[in-house]
Amino acid sequence: MESSWKLTDTQLRKWLSGLLDGNSVVAPVEEDGVLLFRPIASEDQAVVKPSGKTRWSPKEFLFPRSEALYRYNFKGGTVQLEDPPVPEEHQVLFGVRSCDASGLVRLDEIFLSGTKDRLYAARRENTTVVSAACAAADVECFCTAVGYSPVGEEGSDVQLVPLGEDWMLRVLTDKGRDLVSDAGDGWTAATAKDGKRIAELEKSVAGQIERSPVNREWSQVLEEGFEHGAWDRLAQHCLGCSVCAYVCPSCSCFDMNHEANAWCGEQCRSWDACTFPLFTHHASGHNPRETKQERYRQRVLHKFAFREEDEDPFRCVGCGRCVSLCPAGLDIVNTVSAAVEAIREEGADAAR
Amino acid sequence: MPLAEAVPNPYQPSLVRIHDFLDETPDVRTLRLQFVDDNEAGGFAGWEPGQFGQFTVFGAGESVFALANAPWRPNGDRASAPTIECTFRMVGKVTSALRAMSKGQVIGFRGPYGNHFPVDDWKGKDLVFIGGGIGMAALRSAMLDVINRKSEFGDVVILNGARSVGDMVYTDEMPGWQEVDGVEVVRTVDPGGETEGWDGEVGLLPNVFEGLGLDPDGRIVIACGPPIMLHYLFLSLGKVGYSPDQVVTTLENKMKCGIGHCGRCYVGPFSVCRDGPVVTWAELNELPKDY
Repeated sequence: MESSWKLTDTQLRKWLSGLLDGNSVVAPVEEDGVLLFRPIASEDQAVVKPSGKTRWSPKEFLFPRSEALYRYNFKGGTVQLEDPPVPEEHQVLFGVRSCDASGLVRLDEIFLSGTKDRLYAARRENTTVVSAACAAADVECFCTAVGYSPVGEEGSDVQLVPLGEDWMLRVLTDKGRDLVSDAGDGWTAATAKDGKRIAELEKSVAGQIERSPVNREWSQVLEEGFEHGAWDRLAQHCLGCSVCAYVCPSCSCFDMNHEANAWCGEQCRSWDACTFPLFTHHASGHNPRETKQERYRQRVLHKFAFREEDEDPFRCVGCGRCVSLCPAGLDIVNTVSAAVEAIREEGADAAR
Repeated sequence: MPLAEAVPNPYQPSLVRIHDFLDETPDVRTLRLQFVDDNEAGGFAGWEPGQFGQFTVFGAGESVFALANAPWRPNGDRASAPTIECTFRMVGKVTSALRAMSKGQVIGFRGPYGNHFPVDDWKGKDLVFIGGGIGMAALRSAMLDVINRKSEFGDVVILNGARSVGDMVYTDEMPGWQEVDGVEVVRTVDPGGETEGWDGEVGLLPNVFEGLGLDPDGRIVIACGPPIMLHYLFLSLGKVGYSPDQVVTTLENKMKCGIGHCGRCYVGPFSVCRDGPVVTWAELNELPKDY
């Protein structure tokens, strides 16, 4: 069912321009020197071939930083409840890196499993992801070290592959087909030779990532060494600011609070992080994760351990934002390998 | 049908009215709640002991409480609507606001959530319920379920501990439990918490439990209380010869969403609101010490 075309840069921009008709298109945009995902009004706002990745992942377009879950009015001694309208406009997330597209699938695993989240489900249903395979690795990238790929297809409905000056456009899902019903003017069918260039691209970008891989069996080691003293040292510099969780494409923890006055109110959801002390603080005063060591360990292990099945992917997709933006210079891959090394050398029970 | 229309809002609560309440202690209250909308009452097809709900004070927020009354079972010849009872301590913003509410006022309820006590697996067995302080609230539904059909179970001991006599909950109903054949209620307060005329035990729960000298053979222990109490109770249980699969407890982590999404109640891979809150001591031993 896959159909692939070859497009010039101009043809791609023309297609992007066409997408603006009937869709809200969210694409990388440069704002004050920072690359961010923003809804665009015309295709020339989009940075189609950026030299780095966006500072934030596109997750907020499915899981907003803050939103009302329901609203209420106080009326005549009782309360009237009101569901917020579900978003109905179709949105296209354009130019999403492979790592970020996988991040969205990690979010799906939370919000669409078991009891589904109504607002997330509605946005997901109305969202088509046009990913862009990476032409080069950024300095912070480590997707290949954690089992992902710079040309990964996971989470993509349409994938754009940079081929020098040109692009290959691959339709990967039915949703993608809805977006690319027909070839545009001047598009040519991609050849088998073009297809081979995907593997070449993967090899070349992977070659730029100088990180040693995180092995799958390390999950077990990390779990066994849960109480190992190394965590004191590894978390020493963590400031608890949680920027790592906020910029992470797969972090999905949230808080829920009521905002209200005498007449009306709403239950609000906003992003939260396991690295904050109040996250697990009981009303009684008890806190299972009282120290930053325990909180930092939770974040690392939730990404790299506690997987249901061995073949399940790591919840870290390797975008590297937490590494490049950590004010204390913490590096999650180095942390994992240092923890595993300490646990193996000193034994899982080495005292704190 | 588009997915969005098919997915109901998991966060919008049902409205329930405060029908009645009882002040158990100066800071603990038990509420009896009834659904405002009879249709919603009908849709709330009972629950199992051990499950919990999210209770909303509109304008203040939500709190998690155990469903504390005997499970309501839809029954053709029973016209009454289901009632929800919960017992809470006034400790924070939401519970203080809830405590300030009066009969007839409306709050929100969503649930039931979580797994439950395997009460039916206990048939024919001797049971010990051990509740420390407000931990009794999480046990009450199971205790009442067992007492209501006592003939299906063996001997039942209810061991209730509190910091002081004034902190003891369910004192009004305990004499009634004691009257049931084969049910013994033992009450204890921490040393220093006794008052003149106190006729119960004085001592920490684990010590009083050991002093009862109950034979562990074939007995199930259902324990709920603060983490420090459970820590010492498990030491006692091990010492007396109970195996970890004979002991059932509940994990009481901070919860917000109730449906396994918000991420705060994880103990390793275990989401307390979705996979718990009921766990055996054996299961607890498999989890990281993160509760």
